[in-house]
Amino acid sequence: MTKITFVQPDGRSQTVSARVGDSVMQTALAHSIDGIFAECGGAMMCATCHCYVEDARTGQASQGEEDLLDCAEDEVRPSSRLSCQIKVTEDLDGLVVHLPVAVD
Amino acid sequence: MLDIPVNETVTLADLTRDPYPIYRQMRAQTPVVRVAQTNRIFVTRFEHTKWIKENPEIFSSDDPMTPMKPAFQAHTLMRKDGDEHRAERMAMQPAFSPKVIRTDWADLYTKLAEDYVSRLPKGETVDLFSDLCGPIAARILAHMLGLEEATDEQMQRWSQRLIDGAGNFGNDPELFALSDAANAEMNALFEQVMPRHIAEPNNSAFSVMLNAKTPIPIRQMYANIKIAIGGGINEPRDALATILYGLLTNPEQLDEVKRQDAWLDAFEEGVRWVAPIQVSGRRTTQEVQIGDHVIGPNETVMTIQASANRDEAVYADGEAFNVFRDKHPHQAFGSGPHHCAGAQVARRTLGQIMLPLLFERFPNMALTDPHEVIWSGFGFRGPLNLPITLA
Repeated sequence: MTKITFVQPDGRSQTVSARVGDSVMQTALAHSIDGIFAECGGAMMCATCHCYVEDARTGQASQGEEDLLDCAEDEVRPSSRLSCQIKVTEDLDGLVVHLPVAVD
Repeated sequence: MLDIPVNETVTLADLTRDPYPIYRQMRAQTPVVRVAQTNRIFVTRFEHTKWIKENPEIFSSDDPMTPMKPAFQAHTLMRKDGDEHRAERMAMQPAFSPKVIRTDWADLYTKLAEDYVSRLPKGETVDLFSDLCGPIAARILAHMLGLEEATDEQMQRWSQRLIDGAGNFGNDPELFALSDAANAEMNALFEQVMPRHIAEPNNSAFSVMLNAKTPIPIRQMYANIKIAIGGGINEPRDALATILYGLLTNPEQLDEVKRQDAWLDAFEEGVRWVAPIQVSGRRTTQEVQIGDHVIGPNETVMTIQASANRDEAVYADGEAFNVFRDKHPHQAFGSGPHHCAGAQVARRTLGQIMLPLLFERFPNMALTDPHEVIWSGFGFRGPLNLPITLA
């Protein structure tokens, strides 16, 4: 089991057990984490699973992911990722994922 | 493993009139069933429809043989998979992104909505479906695509001709003649406005595509814009009419929506309750098991999101319009690679702009008689009229 901590913009955090092989997005949905909607179900088509990750273990966003991040609702930062594109591995134990502020 | 049951009795006319009791029965008894009259396999449960849409390798959208091709005079992104679909979709996606909605569209759409609502005659009874829902959807889409020169009437007519052609499974030459004529008018307008969008780049879909670093071929730009015209008017039109019907026939919910400013919730519930696009087709690329049944390759599977959105396994009393039900994601915008590109635009233009504006201007508007409202549609569904006294 890999532990992942989701941190809300107001500082609230929740550490959950992620299943290896799932995406970070699927992990968030399985634990009803606020701020991850994932409307397209992980097809990299909607940018509603946007998050911030400062952790080299997760690698780089692909070009397709970058294109989608340009369409994200919230502020895009260098650490922006689509959580559907980060696969949970045993190596990612202790990963910290920050959720964006909802812009309305 | 079981043979796929066959439903010999259900007709397209039944489904067009009122599909919901039929779907309810299918979900309970035959959630995967071949409907003889259409020779297509209907899938009606939430878990199955979502899974099918999210597995495009097994359930392909690629079908160049549908009447969509002659209707649109192109093989469009709706009927493509994988990288080809992504490249064409991403070419125009920036125009529909939440960021551009915020920077470019929100103020303009507010102004357009105010303009159209202010023309409505207070104290009189009008058909809001034809006097507001259709025209405002056409105007907003014209701006978003970069076709401001087109009239509301043209946009709506083109849209309907494309839809009629795309559904012309009987190959009626008259319908293709009409869609051809619409294509000629659209092509002429595209040629006319192209220089403007190149000279003055902007965030409309046409301009974004034309000025991309690596543009897609012009003919695919045309096809993309036509898809947006064919698919971008009747959905917001029908969604608005459906939500208004839901709120006006449930006054205690309407009061609470006003009190809580819960217009976005009203929007989500309206499109869950009666999804403007009820059904999507996919083609199996291999033998695959759905529920208890094995389906062969090259079968057409109809995912019925209209039914998934009322599935008892997910929604308590899903047949009812209830803005304040327990929240659960619905499938009105689909899922997977073909997830509706206009979802965010629709939420904002209807949920944040149009609904609050309309009820602020006409706080006591009322349906003259809910029984006069005619609902229709199998593929696309909504009210055909909405007689409302504006007060």
